[in-house]
Amino acid sequence: MAFLKTLAVATVMTATAASALGTASAQETSKLQQVLDRGYLVLGTGSTNPPWHFVDSDNKLKGFDVDMGRLVAKALFGDPEKIEYVQQSGDARIPNLVTDKVDMACQFMTVTAERAQQIEFTIPYYREGVGLLLMANGDYADYDALKEGGDDVTVAVLQNVYAEEMVRAALPEAEVDQYDSVDLMYQALNSGRAQAAATDQSALRWFMVQNPDRYTDAGYAWNPQSYSCGVKPGDQRWLNFVNTVLHEGMTGVEFPFYAESFKTWFGEELETPKIGFPVEYK
Amino acid sequence: MNFSLFLTELWNARLSLLSGLGDTILISVASVILGSVLGVFVGLAMTYGAKWLRFIVRLYIDFLRGTPVFVLILACFYILSVVGLDLTAFQAGVLALTLFCSSHVGEIVRGALSAIPQGQTEAAKSVGLTFGQTFVYVLLPQALRQILPTWVNTATEIVKASTLLSIIGVVELLLATQQVISRTYLSLEFYLFAGFVYFLLNFVIEQAGRAVERRISIP
Repeated sequence: MAFLKTLAVATVMTATAASALGTASAQETSKLQQVLDRGYLVLGTGSTNPPWHFVDSDNKLKGFDVDMGRLVAKALFGDPEKIEYVQQSGDARIPNLVTDKVDMACQFMTVTAERAQQIEFTIPYYREGVGLLLMANGDYADYDALKEGGDDVTVAVLQNVYAEEMVRAALPEAEVDQYDSVDLMYQALNSGRAQAAATDQSALRWFMVQNPDRYTDAGYAWNPQSYSCGVKPGDQRWLNFVNTVLHEGMTGVEFPFYAESFKTWFGEELETPKIGFPVEYK
Repeated sequence: MNFSLFLTELWNARLSLLSGLGDTILISVASVILGSVLGVFVGLAMTYGAKWLRFIVRLYIDFLRGTPVFVLILACFYILSVVGLDLTAFQAGVLALTLFCSSHVGEIVRGALSAIPQGQTEAAKSVGLTFGQTFVYVLLPQALRQILPTWVNTATEIVKASTLLSIIGVVELLLATQQVISRTYLSLEFYLFAGFVYFLLNFVIEQAGRAVERRISIP
């Protein structure tokens, strides 16, 4: 019994000492210095969701999330290739940050208040929403035509608890057909069983990039949500650095890098930020 | 199902799928070997250990066998890093599967050893063999025949459990397959293909086990 007690006390003491050591070192050196000393960035992202993060046919990790990581690596080392990728599942985003498995995570993470209590978000680098994909030569030209179509219109959507409610928010009278997989949803649109497919704006644009001139965007998007990178809480220096890099990517010296990536994955040419008064205060 | 499209995409993805298969095999082989070595000690401790040792080992076996492998993998990856032991996803995964394998092998070894009549050990002692010699020359050859079929079964379980490592980001065959699917949208075709490869792997293991069984069986 005495042995067990000693063991228990020893374990607790070691754990306390270890955590005390952890906080002390975090205060002394920022993650920024650690990453610079290490010589490469450890980026947590996924590998199964184009156009965000996926393995291309040349066996390389690519996508918009990956490019945001490359932007940060470029800012750190002048070389966007200096990254070690941790290919994580969506569930692993927060645990891997909190346990220091990754320096930062860029993995189409929706900013929510619940998550913000566990990690710190950077500024957003994309605003996701739901959009409607139409056939370019179909009966309905745009959102207004779909709305006038009333219950003649069938909308294909990926199966989801909120799918019906989500479509109704934009097209109150339309029929909603739910499908188990993305390929079946697009198939329904191709075969004319549905007149529109409701899906994430990013997925929709990526599909249009891959199949030029075949489809068109109905021009209406709703359900806004912000995508941000995440960092471990409590390191303001590192958070500020990543924020600065993302901010200058969207508005400053690295705008060509950001715009090039945006064009590649979403097929849209961005306008150069207006010179003069900073756009973000308008 | 568009067969020629599938074959084209399969050819395009061959390198990543092969490297995934390589990882699956490496994980399985490492876990089965390490787990079996550890398992033999667990089985020995269960059979010949002092009472306190048997109690501790019993707790170890029951805890590991009563926990889902999935939970074990997450624990090895996350809990160990909180304690300060920072394993890569690959190492943490192999550790989890090794522990899982050892608990099963331990129980198999214990069962096989206790099925050998006590008289054999006594006879070995009376001709002057040490415990080590008794184990290697008398008990182990007999126990192996008992162990082999269930051990092969455990090995196939480990191959299947290796798919769970995809959760912590080890790009084994399943995650490599999912990566191809996310690019090509050919979900049915590629999942069927992965299932077939796993079946082939386990079929080879089972056949190898049968061949060894035939060789060592007493005519």
